[in-house]
Amino acid sequence: MATSPTGGHAALRREARDLLLVATGAVPGALLRWHLEDLGKGLMGGHAGLIEFDLIANLLGTFLIGVIAAQPAPRPRLMLLGGIGFCGSLTTFSSWMLQISLALRRGRPDEALIVVLISLLGGLVAVSVGLVVGRWFRR
Amino acid sequence: MAAAGGNDALFVAIGAVPGALLRFRVINHFEPMLPRKHWGTFGVNLIACFAIGLLVSLQSSCGLAAGRTLLLLGTGFLGSFSTFSTWIAELHATLDRHQRREAVLLCGGSVLGGLLAVAAGLALGSS
Repeated sequence: MATSPTGGHAALRREARDLLLVATGAVPGALLRWHLEDLGKGLMGGHAGLIEFDLIANLLGTFLIGVIAAQPAPRPRLMLLGGIGFCGSLTTFSSWMLQISLALRRGRPDEALIVVLISLLGGLVAVSVGLVVGRWFRR
Repeated sequence: MAAAGGNDALFVAIGAVPGALLRFRVINHFEPMLPRKHWGTFGVNLIACFAIGLLVSLQSSCGLAAGRTLLLLGTGFLGSFSTFSTWIAELHATLDRHQRREAVLLCGGSVLGGLLAVAAGLALGSS
């Protein structure tokens, strides 16, 4: 946050740069997720495709955020562009929860539970693997 | 389902930018007021769950526009506003610090809260 009144011009420019970095990461992230969802609907049809390909988007983004978080020195620009922008938009909590709610409403609590468990455990594994891989790239 | 055309991509992209920016600003804004940063992510995700429930039920009950509204607001805006990756990374960090109670609260609270929020949105939109 760079909104201190004393910062003046420099603070405003930093603020604009931060927002631009987040926005630049967000567009390809959201488009990739949307393409994956579309691919899922095409390959598997409706609900199942959405659930499975949202899961792929979520696990991919979670792996990548692990890689970024493993970088030793603070990398604020990489975090804004790749972490908050790209990974944040590639992954989604709202669609995931919506799919789980709809599965419950279809009378499929088993399906809902499996999706929750695979997403949670898979996500924790993905971020751990990302952290390990990210350490290889350390400079 | 309409084929993924260039125009549709524009709707997703136009929704995604304010979604991601708002998430970034809201989480940063509330960070000093919260005991842990992850409760900011939690709040953002729950708001997005409520909103997507509302959006979906408004679309099915009043036929509020067609697929493109859903692409702009659902896939683009709310999809980018909410985040799974940061949530899991923060959950992993709490587990790493052996804060089991905090991890259980964050995990259980997000899943149960998310389901309730979606249900509340769906109910409000169809009432």
